[in-house]
Amino acid sequence: MVEALAIRISILAGPKSDSQYHFTGFKNYFNSYTLNGRKNYVLVTYRGIALLLPYFKARYKKTPAVKAK
Amino acid sequence: MNENLFAPFITPTIMGITTLPIIMIFPCIILSTPKRWLPNRIQTLQIWLIRQITKQMLSMHNTRGRTWALMLMSLILFIASTNLLGLLPYSFTPTTQLAMNIGMAIPLWLATVIMGFRNKPKVSLAHFLPQGTPTPLIPMLIIIETISLFIQPLALAVRLTANITAGHLLIHLIGSATLALSSISMTVSTITFTILFLLTILELAVAMIQAYVFTLLVSLYLHDNS
Repeated sequence: MVEALAIRISILAGPKSDSQYHFTGFKNYFNSYTLNGRKNYVLVTYRGIALLLPYFKARYKKTPAVKAK
Repeated sequence: MNENLFAPFITPTIMGITTLPIIMIFPCIILSTPKRWLPNRIQTLQIWLIRQITKQMLSMHNTRGRTWALMLMSLILFIASTNLLGLLPYSFTPTTQLAMNIGMAIPLWLATVIMGFRNKPKVSLAHFLPQGTPTPLIPMLIIIETISLFIQPLALAVRLTANITAGHLLIHLIGSATLALSSISMTVSTITFTILFLLTILELAVAMIQAYVFTLLVSLYLHDNS
Protein backbone atom coordinates (compact mmCIF):
# COMPACT_ATOMS: atom_id res chain seq x y z
CA MET A 1 0.00 0.00 0.00
CA VAL A 2 2.87 2.33 0.88
CA GLU A 3 4.58 1.35 -2.35
CA ALA A 4 1.43 2.12 -4.34
CA LEU A 5 1.19 5.53 -2.66
CA ALA A 6 4.84 6.25 -3.44
CA ILE A 7 4.24 5.33 -7.06
CA ARG A 8 1.20 7.65 -7.24
CA ILE A 9 3.19 10.54 -5.78
CA SER A 10 5.99 9.95 -8.29
CA ILE A 11 3.42 9.94 -11.10
CA LEU A 12 2.10 13.31 -9.93
CA ALA A 13 5.65 14.64 -9.61
CA GLY A 14 6.40 13.45 -13.14
CA PRO A 15 8.19 10.23 -14.09
CA LYS A 16 11.81 10.63 -15.05
CA SER A 17 12.62 7.14 -16.32
CA ASP A 18 11.66 3.49 -15.97
CA SER A 19 14.55 2.87 -13.60
CA GLN A 20 12.73 4.58 -10.72
CA TYR A 21 10.10 1.82 -10.69
CA HIS A 22 10.96 -1.43 -8.92
CA PHE A 23 8.45 -4.16 -9.66
CA THR A 24 8.77 -7.88 -9.05
CA GLY A 25 7.17 -10.96 -10.54
CA PHE A 26 4.18 -10.47 -12.84
CA LYS A 27 4.20 -6.70 -12.29
CA ASN A 28 7.76 -6.54 -13.62
CA TYR A 29 6.48 -7.52 -17.08
CA PHE A 30 2.93 -6.19 -16.98
CA ASN A 31 2.32 -2.80 -15.42
CA SER A 32 0.95 0.52 -16.60
CA TYR A 33 3.98 2.61 -15.52
CA THR A 34 7.09 1.42 -17.35
CA LEU A 35 7.49 1.38 -21.13
CA ASN A 36 8.02 -2.38 -21.22
CA GLY A 37 5.02 -3.03 -18.98
CA ARG A 38 2.73 -0.89 -21.12
CA LYS A 39 4.09 -2.39 -24.32
CA ASN A 40 3.47 -5.93 -23.04
CA TYR A 41 -0.09 -5.10 -22.01
CA VAL A 42 -0.77 -3.64 -25.48
CA LEU A 43 0.68 -6.69 -27.24
CA VAL A 44 -1.29 -9.11 -25.05
CA THR A 45 -4.52 -7.19 -25.70
CA TYR A 46 -3.97 -7.25 -29.47
CA ARG A 47 -3.08 -10.95 -29.43
CA GLY A 48 -6.13 -11.68 -27.30
CA ILE A 49 -8.37 -9.90 -29.84
CA ALA A 50 -6.63 -11.76 -32.69
CA LEU A 51 -7.36 -15.09 -30.94
CA LEU A 52 -10.96 -14.19 -30.13
CA LEU A 53 -11.87 -13.44 -33.75
CA PRO A 54 -11.29 -16.98 -35.14
CA TYR A 55 -12.98 -18.38 -32.02
CA PHE A 56 -16.18 -16.47 -32.74
CA LYS A 57 -15.90 -17.28 -36.42
CA ALA A 58 -15.60 -21.01 -35.69
CA ARG A 59 -18.45 -20.81 -33.18
CA TYR A 60 -20.92 -19.60 -35.78
CA LYS A 61 -19.70 -21.91 -38.50
CA LYS A 62 -22.49 -24.24 -39.64
CA THR A 63 -21.89 -27.95 -39.05
CA PRO A 64 -22.48 -30.49 -41.98
CA ALA A 65 -25.50 -31.99 -40.16
CA VAL A 66 -27.19 -28.58 -40.00
CA LYS A 67 -26.44 -27.96 -43.71
CA ALA A 68 -28.02 -31.34 -44.67
CA LYS A 69 -31.26 -30.25 -42.93
CA MET B 1 -30.80 31.10 -53.99
CA ASN B 2 -31.32 27.66 -52.51
CA GLU B 3 -30.38 25.75 -55.65
CA ASN B 4 -27.10 27.69 -55.91
CA LEU B 5 -26.14 27.29 -52.27
CA PHE B 6 -23.60 24.54 -52.96
CA ALA B 7 -22.55 25.81 -56.38
CA PRO B 8 -19.33 27.38 -54.99
CA PHE B 9 -18.23 23.92 -53.82
CA ILE B 10 -18.46 22.27 -57.24
CA THR B 11 -15.02 21.91 -58.85
CA PRO B 12 -14.88 24.28 -61.80
CA THR B 13 -14.26 22.74 -65.21
CA ILE B 14 -13.30 24.08 -68.62
CA MET B 15 -14.80 22.04 -71.45
CA GLY B 16 -15.17 19.08 -69.11
CA ILE B 17 -11.56 19.19 -67.86
CA THR B 18 -11.16 19.95 -64.17
CA THR B 19 -9.22 23.09 -63.33
CA LEU B 20 -8.36 21.89 -59.81
CA PRO B 21 -4.62 21.33 -60.54
CA ILE B 22 -4.31 24.91 -61.84
CA ILE B 23 -6.14 26.26 -58.76
CA MET B 24 -3.87 24.27 -56.44
CA ILE B 25 -0.70 25.49 -58.18
CA PHE B 26 -1.89 29.13 -58.14
CA PRO B 27 -0.55 29.96 -54.61
CA CYS B 28 2.94 28.97 -55.81
CA ILE B 29 2.75 31.76 -58.38
CA ILE B 30 1.80 34.29 -55.68
CA LEU B 31 4.46 33.13 -53.23
CA SER B 32 7.56 33.83 -55.27
CA THR B 33 11.07 32.76 -54.31
CA PRO B 34 13.99 35.20 -54.38
CA LYS B 35 16.08 34.96 -57.55
CA ARG B 36 18.71 37.52 -56.47
CA TRP B 37 20.99 37.89 -53.50
CA LEU B 38 18.83 40.69 -52.04
CA PRO B 39 15.13 39.84 -52.31
CA ASN B 40 12.46 42.47 -52.81
CA ARG B 41 10.16 43.72 -50.03
CA ILE B 42 7.42 41.16 -50.50
CA GLN B 43 9.90 38.30 -50.54
CA THR B 44 11.65 39.70 -47.45
CA LEU B 45 8.32 39.82 -45.66
CA GLN B 46 7.53 36.29 -46.82
CA ILE B 47 10.93 34.98 -45.63
CA TRP B 48 10.49 36.73 -42.28
CA LEU B 49 7.02 35.20 -41.85
CA ILE B 50 8.23 31.70 -42.74
CA ARG B 51 11.15 32.04 -40.30
CA GLN B 52 8.83 33.11 -37.48
CA ILE B 53 6.46 30.20 -38.11
CA THR B 54 9.35 27.75 -38.43
CA LYS B 55 10.93 28.92 -35.16
CA GLN B 56 7.66 28.70 -33.27
CA MET B 57 6.52 25.38 -34.67
CA LEU B 58 9.78 23.44 -34.72
CA SER B 59 11.19 24.55 -31.38
CA MET B 60 9.78 21.46 -29.64
CA HIS B 61 11.18 18.98 -32.16
CA ASN B 62 14.42 17.02 -32.04
CA THR B 63 16.85 16.68 -34.98
CA ARG B 64 14.78 13.98 -36.65
CA GLY B 65 11.57 15.97 -36.35
CA ARG B 66 13.19 19.09 -37.79
CA THR B 67 13.83 17.28 -41.08
CA TRP B 68 10.09 17.81 -41.61
CA ALA B 69 10.49 21.62 -41.61
CA LEU B 70 10.07 22.00 -45.36
CA MET B 71 6.99 19.77 -45.46
CA LEU B 72 5.29 21.52 -42.54
CA MET B 73 6.00 25.02 -43.84
CA SER B 74 4.77 24.08 -47.32
CA LEU B 75 1.63 22.65 -45.74
CA ILE B 76 0.78 25.72 -43.69
CA LEU B 77 1.51 28.10 -46.56
CA PHE B 78 -0.56 26.06 -49.00
CA ILE B 79 -3.60 25.73 -46.72
CA ALA B 80 -3.46 29.37 -45.56
CA SER B 81 -3.09 30.73 -49.09
CA THR B 82 -5.86 28.55 -50.57
CA ASN B 83 -8.18 29.42 -47.67
CA LEU B 84 -7.52 33.16 -48.01
CA LEU B 85 -7.84 33.13 -51.80
CA GLY B 86 -11.13 31.27 -51.41
CA LEU B 87 -12.61 34.23 -49.58
CA LEU B 88 -12.48 36.30 -52.75
CA PRO B 89 -15.82 36.55 -54.56
CA TYR B 90 -16.55 33.94 -57.23
CA SER B 91 -13.45 31.94 -56.32
CA PHE B 92 -13.16 28.25 -55.59
CA THR B 93 -11.58 26.90 -52.39
CA PRO B 94 -9.90 23.52 -52.82
CA THR B 95 -9.89 22.94 -49.05
CA THR B 96 -13.68 22.64 -49.05
CA GLN B 97 -13.23 19.30 -50.79
CA LEU B 98 -13.05 16.47 -48.25
CA ALA B 99 -11.21 14.32 -50.78
CA MET B 100 -8.37 16.80 -50.94
CA ASN B 101 -8.10 17.23 -47.19
CA ILE B 102 -8.12 13.48 -46.63
CA GLY B 103 -5.49 13.27 -49.36
CA MET B 104 -3.32 15.60 -47.26
CA ALA B 105 -4.17 14.21 -43.82
CA ILE B 106 -3.83 10.45 -44.29
CA PRO B 107 -0.35 10.36 -45.91
CA LEU B 108 1.07 12.81 -43.37
CA TRP B 109 -0.45 10.99 -40.38
CA LEU B 110 0.55 7.59 -41.73
CA ALA B 111 4.10 8.81 -42.32
CA THR B 112 4.39 9.89 -38.68
CA VAL B 113 2.97 6.58 -37.42
CA ILE B 114 5.25 4.49 -39.64
CA MET B 115 8.22 6.63 -38.57
CA GLY B 116 7.32 6.04 -34.93
CA PHE B 117 6.98 2.28 -35.32
CA ARG B 118 10.20 2.05 -37.34
CA ASN B 119 12.43 4.11 -35.06
CA LYS B 120 10.89 3.63 -31.63
CA PRO B 121 8.55 0.61 -31.71
CA LYS B 122 8.50 0.17 -27.92
CA VAL B 123 7.52 3.78 -27.23
CA SER B 124 4.96 3.76 -30.06
CA LEU B 125 3.28 0.64 -28.66
CA ALA B 126 3.44 1.96 -25.10
CA HIS B 127 1.56 5.10 -26.21
CA PHE B 128 -1.57 3.00 -26.57
CA LEU B 129 -1.75 2.71 -22.78
CA PRO B 130 -1.66 5.94 -20.75
CA GLN B 131 0.66 5.81 -17.78
CA GLY B 132 -0.94 4.99 -14.44
CA THR B 133 -4.07 3.35 -15.84
CA PRO B 134 -5.87 1.16 -13.30
CA THR B 135 -5.61 -2.54 -14.19
CA PRO B 136 -9.35 -3.25 -14.82
CA LEU B 137 -9.52 -0.44 -17.38
CA ILE B 138 -6.43 -1.46 -19.37
CA PRO B 139 -7.99 -3.57 -22.20
CA MET B 140 -10.78 -1.08 -22.79
CA LEU B 141 -8.40 1.88 -22.81
CA ILE B 142 -6.05 0.19 -25.28
CA ILE B 143 -8.97 -0.36 -27.66
CA ILE B 144 -10.12 3.26 -27.18
CA GLU B 145 -6.60 4.60 -27.82
CA THR B 146 -6.33 2.46 -30.96
CA ILE B 147 -9.62 3.80 -32.27
CA SER B 148 -8.57 7.37 -31.43
CA LEU B 149 -5.35 6.83 -33.38
CA PHE B 150 -7.25 5.80 -36.51
CA ILE B 151 -9.68 8.68 -36.14
CA GLN B 152 -6.86 11.27 -36.10
CA PRO B 153 -6.52 11.69 -39.90
CA LEU B 154 -10.29 11.76 -40.40
CA ALA B 155 -10.65 14.41 -37.71
CA LEU B 156 -7.87 16.46 -39.31
CA ALA B 157 -9.54 16.39 -42.72
CA VAL B 158 -13.13 16.86 -41.56
CA ARG B 159 -12.16 19.73 -39.21
CA LEU B 160 -10.65 21.73 -42.07
CA THR B 161 -13.43 20.87 -44.54
CA ALA B 162 -16.26 21.64 -42.13
CA ASN B 163 -14.82 24.94 -40.90
CA ILE B 164 -14.12 26.34 -44.35
CA THR B 165 -17.36 25.03 -45.88
CA ALA B 166 -19.49 26.34 -43.00
CA GLY B 167 -17.87 29.75 -43.21
CA HIS B 168 -18.43 30.01 -46.95
CA LEU B 169 -22.05 28.89 -46.59
CA LEU B 170 -22.70 31.47 -43.87
CA ILE B 171 -21.19 34.25 -45.97
CA HIS B 172 -23.33 33.17 -48.91
CA LEU B 173 -26.53 33.00 -46.83
CA ILE B 174 -26.04 36.27 -44.98
CA GLY B 175 -24.99 38.01 -48.21
CA SER B 176 -28.14 36.76 -49.93
CA ALA B 177 -30.21 37.84 -46.93
CA THR B 178 -28.65 41.34 -47.01
CA LEU B 179 -29.54 41.68 -50.69
CA ALA B 180 -33.08 40.38 -50.20
CA LEU B 181 -33.72 42.60 -47.19
CA SER B 182 -32.44 45.75 -48.94
CA SER B 183 -35.73 46.05 -50.88
CA ILE B 184 -37.81 45.40 -47.72
CA SER B 185 -36.13 47.32 -44.91
CA MET B 186 -32.89 49.28 -45.20
CA THR B 187 -32.32 49.25 -41.43
CA VAL B 188 -32.46 45.48 -41.16
CA SER B 189 -30.39 45.19 -44.31
CA THR B 190 -27.72 47.46 -42.77
CA ILE B 191 -27.65 45.36 -39.60
CA THR B 192 -27.30 42.21 -41.71
CA PHE B 193 -24.52 43.85 -43.70
CA THR B 194 -22.70 44.67 -40.45
CA ILE B 195 -23.02 41.02 -39.44
CA LEU B 196 -21.68 40.03 -42.86
CA PHE B 197 -18.70 42.36 -42.42
CA LEU B 198 -17.90 40.93 -38.99
CA LEU B 199 -18.34 37.40 -40.31
CA THR B 200 -15.90 38.08 -43.13
CA ILE B 201 -13.31 39.24 -40.61
CA LEU B 202 -13.98 36.07 -38.62
CA GLU B 203 -13.57 33.95 -41.75
CA LEU B 204 -10.23 35.62 -42.47
CA ALA B 205 -9.09 34.60 -39.01
CA VAL B 206 -10.55 31.09 -39.36
CA ALA B 207 -8.76 30.63 -42.69
CA MET B 208 -5.39 31.27 -41.06
CA ILE B 209 -6.18 29.51 -37.80
CA GLN B 210 -7.33 26.33 -39.55
CA ALA B 211 -4.09 26.22 -41.54
CA TYR B 212 -2.14 26.63 -38.29
CA VAL B 213 -4.22 24.00 -36.45
CA PHE B 214 -3.83 21.43 -39.26
CA THR B 215 -0.07 21.91 -39.38
CA LEU B 216 0.28 22.03 -35.60
CA LEU B 217 -1.56 18.74 -35.18
CA VAL B 218 0.60 17.05 -37.83
CA SER B 219 3.59 18.49 -35.99
CA LEU B 220 2.30 17.07 -32.69
CA TYR B 221 1.79 13.61 -34.20
CA LEU B 222 5.35 13.87 -35.52
CA HIS B 223 6.64 14.90 -32.08
CA ASP B 224 4.93 11.89 -30.47
CA ASN B 225 6.58 9.56 -32.97
CA SER B 226 10.08 11.00 -33.36
